[in-house]
Amino acid sequence: MQEWKIVLPEKKHKKKFFGNLLEEVIKPGICSHCTACAAICPVKGITAGDKPIDFPNWLRDCVDCGACVKVCPRWEYKPLNGVGRYIEAFSARSKRFRGQDGAMVTEFTATALEEGIVEKAIFVARDEEWRTRVVTISNVEQLKSEKVAGTKYSFADVLPAVKEAVLDANAVAFVGTPCMISALRKMQRSFKKFERVKLAIGLFCTENFYHSQLSEFLSKKGVAMKDVLKTDIKKGKFIVKKADGEVIFPVKELDEIIPSGCKVCQDFSAVESDVSVGSVGSEGGFSTVLVRSDVAKRVADLIRAKGNAEFKDASIEAVKKLCDYKVKIHPYNR
Amino acid sequence: MKAEFKAKKLEILKMHIDVIREAFKQAFAPDRVTVEYPRERKKFPPNFRGLIFCEREKCISCFRCAHICPANAIQIYFHDKAWPGIDYTKCIFCHFCVDSCPTGALRATKIHDVAFATMDEMKLRATQTTKPPEVFREDSVTVDYSVDERGWSLVRVKERDELVVEAPPPRLKRRVSYCADPESCLGCRLCVEYCPSDAISVDRKANKLRILEEKCTGCGICVRNCPMKVLELREVR
Repeated sequence: MQEWKIVLPEKKHKKKFFGNLLEEVIKPGICSHCTACAAICPVKGITAGDKPIDFPNWLRDCVDCGACVKVCPRWEYKPLNGVGRYIEAFSARSKRFRGQDGAMVTEFTATALEEGIVEKAIFVARDEEWRTRVVTISNVEQLKSEKVAGTKYSFADVLPAVKEAVLDANAVAFVGTPCMISALRKMQRSFKKFERVKLAIGLFCTENFYHSQLSEFLSKKGVAMKDVLKTDIKKGKFIVKKADGEVIFPVKELDEIIPSGCKVCQDFSAVESDVSVGSVGSEGGFSTVLVRSDVAKRVADLIRAKGNAEFKDASIEAVKKLCDYKVKIHPYNR
Repeated sequence: MKAEFKAKKLEILKMHIDVIREAFKQAFAPDRVTVEYPRERKKFPPNFRGLIFCEREKCISCFRCAHICPANAIQIYFHDKAWPGIDYTKCIFCHFCVDSCPTGALRATKIHDVAFATMDEMKLRATQTTKPPEVFREDSVTVDYSVDERGWSLVRVKERDELVVEAPPPRLKRRVSYCADPESCLGCRLCVEYCPSDAISVDRKANKLRILEEKCTGCGICVRNCPMKVLELREVR
């Protein structure tokens, strides 16, 4: 006879666990759309995609296991903020890849794959319309062929793909926004199997959008999504690069379409990640890299030893400034 | 001229003798290759792919046969448990089902000459697959090939070949479900719901999951359905 214990979180409402999640996270509008619940749901009932998290028929289909509550980063939400702990910080540009800035996310993953530190990596690619598509990468060639580089500013179901990868590979890397990194850490604390995620690359993030709302907003500005070459946020301006010029407008105009879950998030630099990457704190064409864990340090040293990237000093002051700014614009008291 | 005629006559006579000798030889020790089915029957190897039957005492309702069938010919019927029925309009006689059966409940016969009157009759329900199919046998002789360095020949033995051979010993030892990684268990209790023999139970008061090895048949349905893949089948002694 084998016996083992299952840990159930405490219920706050007399409902099934998804009902609790609905009352505490989704209805108050603090859901970050990290898709951790959709990934963990044993009956695959929770839906994400380009719309708010939902569980049609949860009254009937939810098995009341509490896994979604256990992994939700916004359940009993305590906002994380600041730059966080890091072992080293630098500004770098990859010599092999081209990306949003210095392509350091791609470089980190490529090196980890080459050295066998990870077997699979989960990335977000895009189609012509800038719709996100999650891809599982198992060799460096794929990184070059898939359209993985560049910021998409749209939600993607990354964590369900991470779960699938974790079930059949022993070492997985993935790239995600701070909320996804926090969700992953919660998954790792509750379910041991997620310790197979060896490298969690966090992105500097202020907000993310629903693709439908972003494309509608941009079409009002006279920009068709398929003409867009690159999107970027720099110094409070949203910059859309097209083949025939640029469209620039203040980020404040986007306020109406910022999802409510992002408006309570204060984590700019993904403090729980293994390595955080973003453009803030570096000059053009370079990425700021904050190495936080030993695995990431090993990868960074390998990149340095192989000479696959140019290194410079990063301005931590600039990152700190934006961290503080995010706390200021996204207040959360409860 | 006369001598020439005489030589030819001798040759013809020789040919006649050859023919008569061959006729006598074929009458007493024939070496024909035709198997005179149905009076004779070719001897098939023990693992010949014939019609399939299911021994209910051994079947653990694991669905493996239905899962593996490439022709989608196996339909599971639910009576007290889940039993396989075979649709011979679809079956391609690959015997993947027989090979995949962990307990050896599905067994092959050497019977391949069954006539069905209609297409519907070829769809055997689970109740019809429990015994080997009945065939009317007229044969009394078994024919087998004999191959040696001089060539091959047919050997006829005056005995009936048994069409249902003894079951081979199962290739797998008894296995039971085992949770290899309880720390990754979601606590979703899908295994409890899926288990056909109530071997996995949940204690809602103490929040504990329990596997009773005595009840577990090793069907592996819980293993296939575990969303975190923490369950596995493990051999017992």
